Amino acid sequence: MSLHQDTTFVARLSGPDPTPPSPAGSGPGLVRLPTGAADTGAARRRRLPRGTARLGGILLFFGLWEIAALVGWLKPQDLAAPSVIFTTGIDMLRSGALESAIWVSLQRVLWGLVIGVPVGLALALAAGLTRTGENLIDGNVQMLRFVPVIGLESLFILWLGVGETAKVSLIVLGVTFPVYINVFTAIRSMDPGLHELADVVGLSRSERIRRIVLPGVLPAFFMGLRIAVAVAWLILVFVEQINASNGLGYLIIQAQTFFESSVIVVALVTYALMGLVSEGLVRLAERRVLRWQPGR
Amino acid sequence: MSGRSSAVTEPVALAGDEAVVVRDLHRSFGGREVLRGIDLTIGRGQFVALLGRSGSGKSTILRALAGLDDGVQGELLVPERRAVVFQDPRLLPWADVIANVVLGQRGRDARARGLEALGEVGLDGHERDWPKTLSGGEAQRVALARALVRKPDLLLLDEPFGALDALTRIRMHALVAKLCARHHPAVLLVTHDVDEAILLADRVLVLTDGRISLDTPVAQDLDRGDPRFAELRSVLLAEIGVVESIDDGPVDDEPPSDAYRSAPAPVEAVPSALGAVSFVSASIVPSATSKEHQR
Repeated sequence: MSLHQDTTFVARLSGPDPTPPSPAGSGPGLVRLPTGAADTGAARRRRLPRGTARLGGILLFFGLWEIAALVGWLKPQDLAAPSVIFTTGIDMLRSGALESAIWVSLQRVLWGLVIGVPVGLALALAAGLTRTGENLIDGNVQMLRFVPVIGLESLFILWLGVGETAKVSLIVLGVTFPVYINVFTAIRSMDPGLHELADVVGLSRSERIRRIVLPGVLPAFFMGLRIAVAVAWLILVFVEQINASNGLGYLIIQAQTFFESSVIVVALVTYALMGLVSEGLVRLAERRVLRWQPGR
Repeated sequence: MSGRSSAVTEPVALAGDEAVVVRDLHRSFGGREVLRGIDLTIGRGQFVALLGRSGSGKSTILRALAGLDDGVQGELLVPERRAVVFQDPRLLPWADVIANVVLGQRGRDARARGLEALGEVGLDGHERDWPKTLSGGEAQRVALARALVRKPDLLLLDEPFGALDALTRIRMHALVAKLCARHHPAVLLVTHDVDEAILLADRVLVLTDGRISLDTPVAQDLDRGDPRFAELRSVLLAEIGVVESIDDGPVDDEPPSDAYRSAPAPVEAVPSALGAVSFVSASIVPSATSKEHQR
């Protein structure tokens, strides 16, 4: 089969050509390109589907982990077997311990976002749309954003005590920056052609903001929001492990004291799932709002 | 902003039929003088093409007439209702086609007028489309509809066909000719395409080194087969300086004939331009539009 194809290939190359390929050295040489490979479609059908193949890798990972725990290479207080973690998770769900912890943690993140995102957005608009706003706000924000937010935890505890206010405030602060930076940069780097257009069609200032600036910065806003959500979870994990009397982080600290590695992993997986879900929700909202963008 | 409005939006009573009066317009960018005293009068309904090399200041003039440049010096009288079509369509990607067309239009009938304008550019049924789903030609037609819906007395076209493929460009030429004949705005078309200028315009200007170096009417019914078309074409190409840049090419070896040349000093070219304005309603219209244009 492959031989046959090779000959037709050569025939096609040299057949209709009145001057056959010249021998090496006497002119531009020809190279023979590989032909006759198996039909790629058929080859693909014979292989496993990509999803299945990937899942196989993951299953292999968990299988080895389980075996390592069974054989005793992994001590339960260091890292429990996947099966143990799974049953622990089920138990925690049944007892309601996990649910209440999730609810407490989720509230902290939500409050942080609900306050921090509008604050970041409002600051960005004020700085982006007015000179005075820029003078008052932007320099300060650019200065403060290099202060590690997590490092402010001690100050916040000094000011606000160890209650919810300090935790939520730290999340608010962390969330504000990515929203601010993205939106402010987007306002400032907007296509000047669109501002010319606004001049030419005679838009008023408020129309210009409503019709051009705000929709124009939405993609950047969602980018900032996605970062903000990730930052919110990150700061949450941190503040809950510093001091907390409830929430997922508290579960982790307690489990650490009692060498319950399975509970720690359950809490971590829960964090991960909630991060995943919130990211997904933001993407969903983004897709709906930015439906004018191609490829969405 | 205030400097611009005092120069442009103040109502001025004009005696005659002028849509644009520019006197002694200067513009410098960082010490380099791009416009060195432009005098230009465009009559109502006149279609003027402005040719010139890139960097000759064509777009600077157009931007000044659009009210987009308050750094110009000189006198600038333009109608209140102006519309601009840029080289890029400049549609708001987040607004559907009809919202783009009526952008900035107020009043209850805005949408209806927008739909009518869309129909005129042949985009019926596209009003709900997103701009990014349109082809380049369609997007530029939306931009044209956005200009038309304003019922401009002065239509400024800044190389509006420059980014289109050749076939689309030909179709756009016909469309623009038809629409200008129907609505009869004064038009300033900035282009570097000599053929386009001859085909569309009543009058062609060439801008060289910041001055209008040539100001010629275009005879009616000129099509590409007409020897006068070829003659005017080579005159214009020579004036733009195509001969200098292609010294070994077969293009335009003969010097430009003086018949098309305005007086040597560019400022004095303007009276002749004014003459052309009154002349235009009599005979000078592009071939594609000659019939409707006259009525």
